[in-house]
Amino acid sequence: MISAFISTGIIFLIVGILLMNSWNAITDVGWRLFTLKWNVANEEYGILSMLYGSFMVTLCALVIALPLGLLTAIFVSEVLPGRYRFYAKSLLELLAGIPSIIYGLLGVAFLSVWIGHLFDLQSGRTILSAGILLASMILPTIITLSDDALQNVPDKYREAANGLGLTKYEVFRSALLPIAKADIIGACLLALGRALGETMAVMLVIGGIDKIPTPFFNILLPGQTITSKLGREIAETAFGSDHFSAMIFMGMILLFVVLILTFVAQHCFNPEQRLYE
Amino acid sequence: MSRELVNKCFVLAAWGAVGISCLILVSMISVITWNGLGAINLGFLFTEARNFGMSGGILYQIIGTLLIVAVAALICLPLALGTAISKSEYLKNRRMRKLCTALIYGLNGIPSVIFGVFGLIFFVNILGTGISWFVGSIILAIMILPTVVLATYQSINSIPKIYRESALTLGLNKWQVILHVVLPQGIGGSITGLLIGLARAVGETAPIMFIATAFSGVDIPGSPFEPVATLPTHILALAQQATAGQALQNAWGASLVLLTLVTLFSVTALFSRMKLRTISQR
Repeated sequence: MISAFISTGIIFLIVGILLMNSWNAITDVGWRLFTLKWNVANEEYGILSMLYGSFMVTLCALVIALPLGLLTAIFVSEVLPGRYRFYAKSLLELLAGIPSIIYGLLGVAFLSVWIGHLFDLQSGRTILSAGILLASMILPTIITLSDDALQNVPDKYREAANGLGLTKYEVFRSALLPIAKADIIGACLLALGRALGETMAVMLVIGGIDKIPTPFFNILLPGQTITSKLGREIAETAFGSDHFSAMIFMGMILLFVVLILTFVAQHCFNPEQRLYE
Repeated sequence: MSRELVNKCFVLAAWGAVGISCLILVSMISVITWNGLGAINLGFLFTEARNFGMSGGILYQIIGTLLIVAVAALICLPLALGTAISKSEYLKNRRMRKLCTALIYGLNGIPSVIFGVFGLIFFVNILGTGISWFVGSIILAIMILPTVVLATYQSINSIPKIYRESALTLGLNKWQVILHVVLPQGIGGSITGLLIGLARAVGETAPIMFIATAFSGVDIPGSPFEPVATLPTHILALAQQATAGQALQNAWGASLVLLTLVTLFSVTALFSRMKLRTISQR
């Protein structure tokens, strides 16, 4: 019983501690937190560039990984014969377990070099490279979860649709998708949360410049995400200073976004509300 | 467009996506293995790092990683068992149960770097432990807690009602039922969950890089309040100087060792899950 209290209490403790430590920044810096300039020497702590970076990298990753992952999931679930499915799933689970630091190493050693050559840039450490790297990290998650969602659709729907003489695409569109939609959205939200919170791989390839590139949709320039900022700077920041507190404030924004995503995702695939079993 | 044409495009797109996904994933694994095998030999595995990781091996990094993870498992296991049992046996109120589940899922969703920041503030600065591997273990234990709790809870939940009823008919009280009926089944589930969690914990860098590790000049720690070197942070440090060929070479070697550890944990977890399933189907 006590251990239950500890386990559920930890989350409050974490939120509380972060809130306490970001209080300094909220009172001292106030609304100027939401400006563009981050310059510690001038006591300017604008976190907008980091928010933008996180958003942009995640967007890149999702744009690449979502179509790929969904189509692959459809293949694994609907086209691949059942007996190979077990192997495919095991392989995917293994891939999902590759530590992020190894992805980071791959990114530094190959991807950023390739991107640099391909677009003829000074440095290949850009927002785009971070996005591509992140996409390959969340790909296994998206595939397994969407595959589970499609598998959860009872076979009778598939058989009835096939019996009407529909083609594979029409079966998917009109029979499977409406039923599996909620679960697939849940899977995407989980992947989104994972992508937002990813630190190591992004930190190594994003370049680490606290600016919004000009023009703002140019993803071939270096940027900075919340996580990479935290990972790079927090160990060198004096505990209790405004600088530290502004960093914690950034972390807290990230935490809340991810927590909200998690709860919404969980609400999406609430197993008690399954009508179709 | 005719129906057949649309369908053909759809199937073609699916095949194409599979091709690309497989290409990405398989090429990654082969690159790691290929580069890693080139770097690994017995000397690499069993000597200490010298010259800031440029030469020498990764003996202390392996020891440090295993130490942190093993202690994290020891901290996590009783906590998770207790949580799962009290959730399934004592929490009768439906709303409380839902809240409990939501909180555990929430904990599961917290990004790993936040755990690192939390550890830095709470343990290192407020409690004043300094940078120590024991704190790293605690943080990793918190991080894998949800996985273990959920796995344990699932296996407890799958105990047929008749077991519990016959135990109660025999005149056992609640505590005895938990001890003799619930616990033996729960432990199987929690071990599986623990292995899955450990597979994740072994490779985590972000939570421990501020609070538990140092890059050079460490050996086997003498007390719980000393930093250690771990494989992931070692790879990070080497990757940041990626222009130096020898550093990169050693980073690949360390990556392959790390990947082997992760795979070992997940494959064991897979087998333990399959075994569990056959038991509960009996």
